[in-house]
Amino acid sequence: MTTSTSAPVTTEKATVVAARTKGLRKEYGSTVAVDRVDLELPEGAVLGMLGPNGSGKTTTIRMLLGLVRPTQGEIELLGKPLPDGAEQALPHVGALVEGPGFHPFLSGRENLIRCAAFEPLLEKRNIKQAVEDALERVGLAQAAHRRYRGYSLGMKQRLGLAAALLVPRKLVVLDEPTNGLDPAGTREIRKIIAELHAAGSTVLVSSHLLSEVEATCTHVAVLHRGTVVAQGELTELLQAGGSALQVITPDVEIALSALRSAKISGRPLGDGLRVELAGTSAPQVIETLVKAGVGIYEATRWKTGLEELFARLTEAEEAERGMSAVDTLDGGPR
Amino acid sequence: MITRQFGSEVRWMLRRPRTIIGLFGLVLVPIIISFGIWTAGEGSDGPPGLGAILQGNGMVVPIFTLFLSLNLLLPLVASIWAADGLAGEAQHGTLRGLLVAPVSRVRLLFVKLFGLTAMSLFAVTLMAVVGIIAGTAFLGTNGMMTLSGTTLTTGEGLLRIALFIILVTFQMVSIGAVALAVSATTEHPLVVQAATMTTIIVFQVLGQFSSLDWLHPFLITTGFPGLIDVMRDPIPTGQIWDSTLLAGCYLLIGTGLAAMRLITKDS
Repeated sequence: MTTSTSAPVTTEKATVVAARTKGLRKEYGSTVAVDRVDLELPEGAVLGMLGPNGSGKTTTIRMLLGLVRPTQGEIELLGKPLPDGAEQALPHVGALVEGPGFHPFLSGRENLIRCAAFEPLLEKRNIKQAVEDALERVGLAQAAHRRYRGYSLGMKQRLGLAAALLVPRKLVVLDEPTNGLDPAGTREIRKIIAELHAAGSTVLVSSHLLSEVEATCTHVAVLHRGTVVAQGELTELLQAGGSALQVITPDVEIALSALRSAKISGRPLGDGLRVELAGTSAPQVIETLVKAGVGIYEATRWKTGLEELFARLTEAEEAERGMSAVDTLDGGPR
Repeated sequence: MITRQFGSEVRWMLRRPRTIIGLFGLVLVPIIISFGIWTAGEGSDGPPGLGAILQGNGMVVPIFTLFLSLNLLLPLVASIWAADGLAGEAQHGTLRGLLVAPVSRVRLLFVKLFGLTAMSLFAVTLMAVVGIIAGTAFLGTNGMMTLSGTTLTTGEGLLRIALFIILVTFQMVSIGAVALAVSATTEHPLVVQAATMTTIIVFQVLGQFSSLDWLHPFLITTGFPGLIDVMRDPIPTGQIWDSTLLAGCYLLIGTGLAAMRLITKDS
């Protein structure tokens, strides 16, 4: 669907992307907010953009939406280069950036009507219906007549989401969408993201809540100190993070010596031990242990959680900055 | 599309509590003037110049009102609208929403200029209409006496008022356009108002010093007094034309600067 007009080197497999950035850099005065960001947002994906506060998530998103001009680098949004192609691409993009922005003296409905008046894809006669639908979708229909001034943080957030969903979008960008929402509200946002995904829209969610991303996303990009330290499919990233077997057993000592003689690395952990599966497999480990007469109550595959992956990615760099040379992950930060 | 955006803009401005309060305040001016002249009674020493012909000449009230208000009140109102237009929207985070919709930045500026113009025209006309009503009610009228001593028919008088409305609105919009340029640089509406009003006051002070007369042709406030020529018969067009031309320059420069700033602005 992308009309790659300016892509001289397309040697890689041509994944259809909803958005792509190349070598993005943004300086504010002397501070570099974002540097060397190469982001790829495959069409139909739900990309979770992770990163601690100040890691450049919002700046990257603002550049993707044409709100901020990059100091360097290229952006392609829905097949159009930014900023020149913004007027063609942006109508298909719904966004909630840096928290909801509305006029306090207008009601929720009036605010949405004002947003709708500026939506190029919305016909005038359809505005009313689109606004009511969006309000319904985010569960604000009951409070639509109240002034925005009196809205709770959660309601404000929902209204922002409603504005992003006024028109069916090809791409929806949500910057910290669950900020200020209670658990029920968070679940609703997840539901909406899932609906968008099912309808074929591409979604970009930024968050510092890892569980949030793990629950809703197909792809992940991890930002740290203004640059992308890892990105890809969620499952692939987690697998690449290595795996281990957790064995619950009373015979820890025997187990360890058996593993050692089989050249499998393991260490005591809790009620048993943790066995690294590098160079071996779970059946092999269990066979070794059983043959050594170790009683096994339970053996579970230890899945690398996003939290662990994230900690490792961001800490690896932290360590590198401190000690100058430890192995770095994908991307090789400065 | 653009008419729909214009409509939305004006509706949004009209819905603001401060606009309503501001318009209410503006409307009070001609009423107070009419009442003041009326209570002062016949034969008293009225204000000099235009004020001198107000007694028994209610049709002059709208002109006198606008002429007085142009010095401070109307620039203040214009600066408030310009401040809310860009800086205010940026402050509330709504500017981002508009830009992502998307509204191109140049078009956004035109929407804002249109809102400013429409609301200025509305405010000035409202003041004039209330001025006519209050003036006629308190002071009575028999046509419109001019500064040249002639008396115009009511119809001719209304035409003069209409002309003055347009001239004053244009001055107001020009000030507003410069305020919009300031508005495009900040997120704080108060900065815009303060900057605009300070400039207007400083210009008027500078206008008092004859040693600075080389500067006077460049100050927009220098053009204000000349507009009163509308009340002479026949109308000498020289000063009116100069004032309008000067305001036109401010309008162009203001719009140009605002566009330049808006196009490269990070939001």
